[in-house]
Amino acid sequence: MADPISDHSIENHKGGGTSVPPPAVVVRRIVKRYGALAACDGVDLIMRAGEIHGVLGQNGAGKSTLMKILIGLVMPDEGSIAINGKDARIGSPQIASDLGIGMVHQHFSLVDGLSVWENVVLGEKAHLDRSAARSRVAEIGERYGLDVDPDARVSSLTAGQRQRVEIIKCLRRDPKILIFDEPTSVLTPEESSHLFGVLRNVVKTEGRTVALVSHKLEEVLRATDDITIMRDGKVVAFMRTNETDRHALAEAMVGRSVDLRGGKARHASENTIVASDVAAPVPVLEVIDASVHTKAAGVQLANLSLSVMAGEIVGIAGVEGNGQRVLADVLSSLTALNSGSIKVKGREIASGRPGAMSKSGIGVIPEDRHDSGCVLDMSVAENLVLADQVSVAQRGFLDRKKISAQAEELVQQFGINCSTVDAPMWTLSGGNQQRVVLARELSIGPSVLVAAQPTRGLDVGAIEYMGGRLKQAAAEGVGVLLISSEIEELIELSDRILVMYRGAVVGEMKAGEIDIHRLGMLMGGAE
Amino acid sequence: MSTTPSAKRDRIELIGLYIVSILLAFVIAAILVNTSGGSWSKAVEAMINGSFKNPGRWGETLRRAAPLLIVAAGSAIAAKAGIINIGQEGQVLIGATGAAFIMTKIHPGSPLMLILGVVLGMLAGAAWAGISALLYYWRRVPVVLSTLLLVYLSSQITGYTMTRKFLLLEVVEGSPNRIQNSAKTAVNSRLGIMHIFGNNVPLTVPIAIIFAVGVAYILAHSVWGFRLKMLGFNPRTAQRAGVSHVRFGTMALLTSGAAAGLAGSLMLATGESNYRASSGFSASVGWDGLLVALVARNNPYASIPVALAFACLHTGSNFLAAAGVESVLVDVIRGLLVLALFIPPAVSELRKKRRVLALMTERA
Repeated sequence: MADPISDHSIENHKGGGTSVPPPAVVVRRIVKRYGALAACDGVDLIMRAGEIHGVLGQNGAGKSTLMKILIGLVMPDEGSIAINGKDARIGSPQIASDLGIGMVHQHFSLVDGLSVWENVVLGEKAHLDRSAARSRVAEIGERYGLDVDPDARVSSLTAGQRQRVEIIKCLRRDPKILIFDEPTSVLTPEESSHLFGVLRNVVKTEGRTVALVSHKLEEVLRATDDITIMRDGKVVAFMRTNETDRHALAEAMVGRSVDLRGGKARHASENTIVASDVAAPVPVLEVIDASVHTKAAGVQLANLSLSVMAGEIVGIAGVEGNGQRVLADVLSSLTALNSGSIKVKGREIASGRPGAMSKSGIGVIPEDRHDSGCVLDMSVAENLVLADQVSVAQRGFLDRKKISAQAEELVQQFGINCSTVDAPMWTLSGGNQQRVVLARELSIGPSVLVAAQPTRGLDVGAIEYMGGRLKQAAAEGVGVLLISSEIEELIELSDRILVMYRGAVVGEMKAGEIDIHRLGMLMGGAE
Repeated sequence: MSTTPSAKRDRIELIGLYIVSILLAFVIAAILVNTSGGSWSKAVEAMINGSFKNPGRWGETLRRAAPLLIVAAGSAIAAKAGIINIGQEGQVLIGATGAAFIMTKIHPGSPLMLILGVVLGMLAGAAWAGISALLYYWRRVPVVLSTLLLVYLSSQITGYTMTRKFLLLEVVEGSPNRIQNSAKTAVNSRLGIMHIFGNNVPLTVPIAIIFAVGVAYILAHSVWGFRLKMLGFNPRTAQRAGVSHVRFGTMALLTSGAAAGLAGSLMLATGESNYRASSGFSASVGWDGLLVALVARNNPYASIPVALAFACLHTGSNFLAAAGVESVLVDVIRGLLVLALFIPPAVSELRKKRRVLALMTERA
């Protein structure tokens, strides 16, 4: 792939006349390791002054780490950085700020109870001048088209307005280099195109430099001048935006390393046979026009529809933050739908009512098991009966013997490694906690199993085990909904893959006909 | 479960910490007493005489301990569900006031009236705590805040009922009625008092012990207790498993309020402040009961000795003034002792966490 350092870009500046300024940012061979994992592995990046530079990649590609290095939140292990042609050691956010680098983070850091202008001046040490601060906010807002009332309470603002406040906060320090981390993740399309207009304005009329970190192909194509594409901690491509297209971007972002595996076709046909044996044509799970939106987080699910048949594994692909977590929360009774419905075996389930989904036969392995999958301070045995205490109770009192016996059996069956079933859950390793969750959710005999990022943080053996269990559940007639950001995992396990983008299903592929190229395009929202 | 070497070491360490910190509290208390012109040895003697040595005193101590235990057991229920009720003082008072409407108004009274009075007292205490539940689940007012502030409201309301004859004010012919309290409870509506070796031990003592043991058993073994525990430890997991925060949280708060109301009405039935209710009737039973629960770390069994210890401090301190010790010092000493009982588990917990963390980083 193209190497930006040896590419035309830097030569232009180096060899060119004195009239050409040096690039605003030159990052060379940056390495940052976390244990055995290299989040950035020899990354090069050149951002030219007066341009918008896109940094494209999937989750875990190393984009965020790279930006955190630029902003002084993370120190690189190797490599060098030059800002405006001068070598720089960015040891803290303060140094970054002195160098004129500012960042608008993906997750807002605003205080809900304070007004807009108070949030903007928060953290300033100088004497507070209320009227000056208010007029400054208004002035910045006007100059850049960031219309927001300085006196409004942040809690009353929409996601788009909150982001404007963040941008004003950043611009107030007059940075020469602005970094935007996934800025459109909570914005509506109109708000997004407005934002890009603002960015273009900032770059063109004031000669500032903007880095736009994103996983969305369309917006990178639309808003940037140069694009650096990262995958697995490395830069895999560098392109001029007007010389590329979405196909090339999608391919570079997802990569060719993901190949269809030989055994896949066979597995799929096996499953299809099982499905036709077991299941009636009624889907076990139907999600119909599901919408969730809140003022603070914006639209999270947008008329999402999908269905899962008995014995089928349906994979949900997509870059994180496109509504997968909310979908899992809805199916866990943790979030209520604003509109739409959920049906299990044709029966509608009240969304948001405690326990309703679980009772109707939806088992869930949540993305964060500590959040809604288990109770760390209760014992392994108790965790194994969390979902259904009634079956192990008599006249309102727990039958401890029965609980223990049932726990012993599940511990055996699922190979859970714990000292005793009375040991507190927190004494178990992550992989074993995950097995407890899996054992419990399967022990209630679900008709649907939702597995959200089920192998995250597990070692190879545990990953294989989990995959085997999901296949087995499907073979026994359970409809499995597998939400994952690991494309290999999805391809290996799923009979169908749906792609989520901005809270809706934007595409579907059958196991035999998975086209990596198209998958990348769908995940980037380019179709 | 506790047979692992590390658990054993933790327990020994905890006991050691208790001994050191209680000793330290006594030393500081002794220094305080001596520097303020008293004699610590006389003070200790007075405390011992007042709390159990002198004739009839241990009966008094038990009389004080019983409602503390009931209040503490009730607090444990709310705490199990992760709800911090600190308004027991008000709930005790409202409970006693509610009970007074039956016990002092209906003559000549009967055991049935006693039961009705106690039930009304429990309902009143529950309703008072229910206001906080309503405020929390409807308007997100923090429970800690509303339960605390309702204490002050409760004494105002009780005080008002003692200013009107149609409410609780005692009707005395030809008297201007300056003293604002209720009439005495009907003789037949009172709860029995056992006479043991010259001590008057009210029946609230066995009732309190049965109540505490019952609460401990229900929390540990019932499905309801299991659900409260789930809610307290991890509300989102509980919600997924079908435990509604609103329903179970409200129930836990109502139950702890009812326990406080029970304590208040039983105090009235066994002759606290001469069988009369007044706005100062609760006599810090709610506050002390809350402290008992805190020190016993919401364990109803552990609350039994702790309630006894707090009752000793209370009855013993009545004798301190005679030993030349400033009475305000008693509060200071009690505060020191509470601190001494709080610090060991906190330190032990911190050390345990640090060890686990160290272990985890080592593994990583």
